Amino acid sequence: MTQLNAANTPAAGAHPDTPTAAQVTVTGLAVDGPAGVVVEPFDFSIAPGETLALIGESGSGKTLSAKAIAGLLPAGFTARGGIELTSARIELPATDAVWRATRGRRISLLLQDPFTSLSPVHRCGAQIAMTIQAASATRLSKAECAELVTQRLAEVNLPADVARAYPHELSGGMRQRVAIAAALATDPELLIADEPTTALDASNQGEILDLLRGLQENRGMAALLISHDLGMVRGRAEHVLVMRHGEIVERGVTSSVLNAPSHPYTRALIEADPSLTDRSAGVVRTASGVGVGVAGAARDNATGETGDLVVATDVTKSFGDKTVLHGVSVTVGRGETVGIVGESGSGKTTIARCIAGLEYESSGVIAFDGVALAPGRASRTPKQMQIVFQDPYSSLNPMISVGRSLKLALRVAGRPASDLNGLLQLVELPLEFARKRPAELSGGQRQRVAIARALAVQPELLICDESVSALDVSVQKQILDLLAKLRVDLGLSILFISHDLAVVRQLADRVYVLRHGDVVESGPCHDVLNAPTHPYTQALVAASIHEAPTH
Amino acid sequence: MSSTEAIVLAKAPRSRRRHPVAVWVSIALLGLVTFLAIFGNLIAPDATAQSILDSLLPPGSPGHLLGTDELGRDVLALTIAGASSALVGPVCVALGSMLLGILLGTVSGYLRGPIDFIIGRWTDLLFSLPLLLAAIVVAGVFGAGYWMTVLLLILLFSPSDIRIVRAGVMEQAARPFVEAAQMLSLSKARIMFTQVLPNVSSLIITNSMLNVAFALVAFSSLSFLGVGVAPGTADWGRQLTDGRSIMIDNPAAVLVPALLIIGVASAANLVGDWLGQNLTRTGRS
Repeated sequence: MTQLNAANTPAAGAHPDTPTAAQVTVTGLAVDGPAGVVVEPFDFSIAPGETLALIGESGSGKTLSAKAIAGLLPAGFTARGGIELTSARIELPATDAVWRATRGRRISLLLQDPFTSLSPVHRCGAQIAMTIQAASATRLSKAECAELVTQRLAEVNLPADVARAYPHELSGGMRQRVAIAAALATDPELLIADEPTTALDASNQGEILDLLRGLQENRGMAALLISHDLGMVRGRAEHVLVMRHGEIVERGVTSSVLNAPSHPYTRALIEADPSLTDRSAGVVRTASGVGVGVAGAARDNATGETGDLVVATDVTKSFGDKTVLHGVSVTVGRGETVGIVGESGSGKTTIARCIAGLEYESSGVIAFDGVALAPGRASRTPKQMQIVFQDPYSSLNPMISVGRSLKLALRVAGRPASDLNGLLQLVELPLEFARKRPAELSGGQRQRVAIARALAVQPELLICDESVSALDVSVQKQILDLLAKLRVDLGLSILFISHDLAVVRQLADRVYVLRHGDVVESGPCHDVLNAPTHPYTQALVAASIHEAPTH
Repeated sequence: MSSTEAIVLAKAPRSRRRHPVAVWVSIALLGLVTFLAIFGNLIAPDATAQSILDSLLPPGSPGHLLGTDELGRDVLALTIAGASSALVGPVCVALGSMLLGILLGTVSGYLRGPIDFIIGRWTDLLFSLPLLLAAIVVAGVFGAGYWMTVLLLILLFSPSDIRIVRAGVMEQAARPFVEAAQMLSLSKARIMFTQVLPNVSSLIITNSMLNVAFALVAFSSLSFLGVGVAPGTADWGRQLTDGRSIMIDNPAAVLVPALLIIGVASAANLVGDWLGQNLTRTGRS
């Protein structure tokens, strides 16, 4: 419980089966919702220094289970079961007083989104100090507190001056480190990490998870890692539980579950994960076999046509003093799918937005179909290009029904409103969705609507700006399959922006690698991602493989 | 996205929570005052009729439930007749300043640039004018009057509406659905008023209810100071001035209009708050 305790048992992490090692044991954990049982009773125990991963899709009950253990269930939900810690035993449902003594001290929770889990109006140091102060038995002086804050920041590899920064001044990865520092400030016995890296870039994800792992082993702390990403779990958790519809369908040692899944659902999850499936073929894998080899066919098609659709030459872009694009040149051929990869801040979204006319380039020429376009939307027509944005929750107008949104787009293109049904069929949505508001749809369904809206005007170029990054792996796969199908059926050219190499590998014919506003490498997707020549690309590829060392 | 799902699930029981009693009482009070504002003339046709013989009757006198004032006017009838002046002015002020807020705030928040700068300095200027001082100066220059006060209050209330709408529009304008509308090459006016504005509507409605409350208090203050309605008009603020000197003889002449001002202002505030919470819950995803 105390820091002394953790420091005295450094070996606990390395040898979790030491007979004296205390464990965190949860028995008969179940969650009841307003409409009945949401999570069926299940047991698990985690040895100090070990990680248990709880895997499932959205709606599987994994987050509710985590919240039940942290005593943070939303109104209308109650937990059953018991939690055995070395220092306490909690019978669920527990009173608020019990939770106040436990939560944040013996059990800490690390949330998914570093952008909202920190208070925007308090300095990071103050937020870490708050948890230290809350957990401390005696009142600490300001200097002592500052000293501890610096220590915690050093543990998560952040410089001391981060304490004086506000969250918005930090990158996503740094924010998540601050959140980790705050969560660990109290030396909890159990850390619950709810999708801790979903909102981060590929290279950040690995770092954060390895950092967590290191901290946890040093302290002999048990961790429960909630994730939808099987690839992320490999090599970072000793045991894994797979949850579906509130039931544990498979459990066991991580490597054996991933290599020899016994339940069909686990197999489906593994197959849906682009980083776990065949990484070298460069083709889209679908259950029906549709889409296999599409990349090659489209490339042949591209060379058959005359000229390129979009040619961006030496595009630069500055925001104030900050230059985000230093002369980027990108070409998209007819019927071709071009990927642009890079970390956040690399300028990949900016170049896409310049091409779309949503951003005014500072210099350079963007030509569409051989005609140079002036910067901005005014010189572009809807039929030339459309964008599908990253966040399906904000890319549809919440006050306007799906049908009205789509009809508006159809009207713009001069198509009759009766084409609405065909449009919904195209993105494989039921016709009654026309009457729904975006709030009634899931993330994947909204993204389908966003694609339908983009396709309503029959654009020549579809720009996908991180269009699948906010989705679960299985939904991601469905949307990627849909895109693969649409580009064959409609002969679309696609500019695909992503930080996720595995996703780009599935869809793109050619790929550009962007770093700090420069193209560091480009070429056929297969060549660039399998035999990268630039050290940065090599690092990116290594980071994505590190995430899921399947071979 | 499972946490989002949990939140959506959590909303279900919360929205089933019954509306607080205070909100129902407020709605009832506002309904009653609205009824009196419309039909007050029928219920109390000659509220301002004076009668020296009936001067200063205490509450509970026969024929005068709340007594009479110095001029022998029936306090109950005067209060009923005052409902229309208490409601019409504030509602006009709220609507007028809402209209200005929608027009200038949307344009300012969506177009930004020089227009935003000009509108911004204009609101700064209006913000800096003290309400009562401005009203006294305007009354001195143009003469006091009910509709003059309405116009002045619209002008003085508008900067807060402009700022609020502008902030709401700026928040929405950065969202991808607005960019999706730009990708369809819709005109700026069309994007502003058909795509962005509906998402700010809950904000506007809430703020307008609050404006009704503030405007009522402002009207009453101005009437109390003698720069609002003309003397002799049935008006709650006016009743306070007239009733001050006869507090001992007929306390109802002051207390009843005073309580009504407080009650109606609080009710408008509560209903505005409640509307705000409920509209945002259904409006946003």
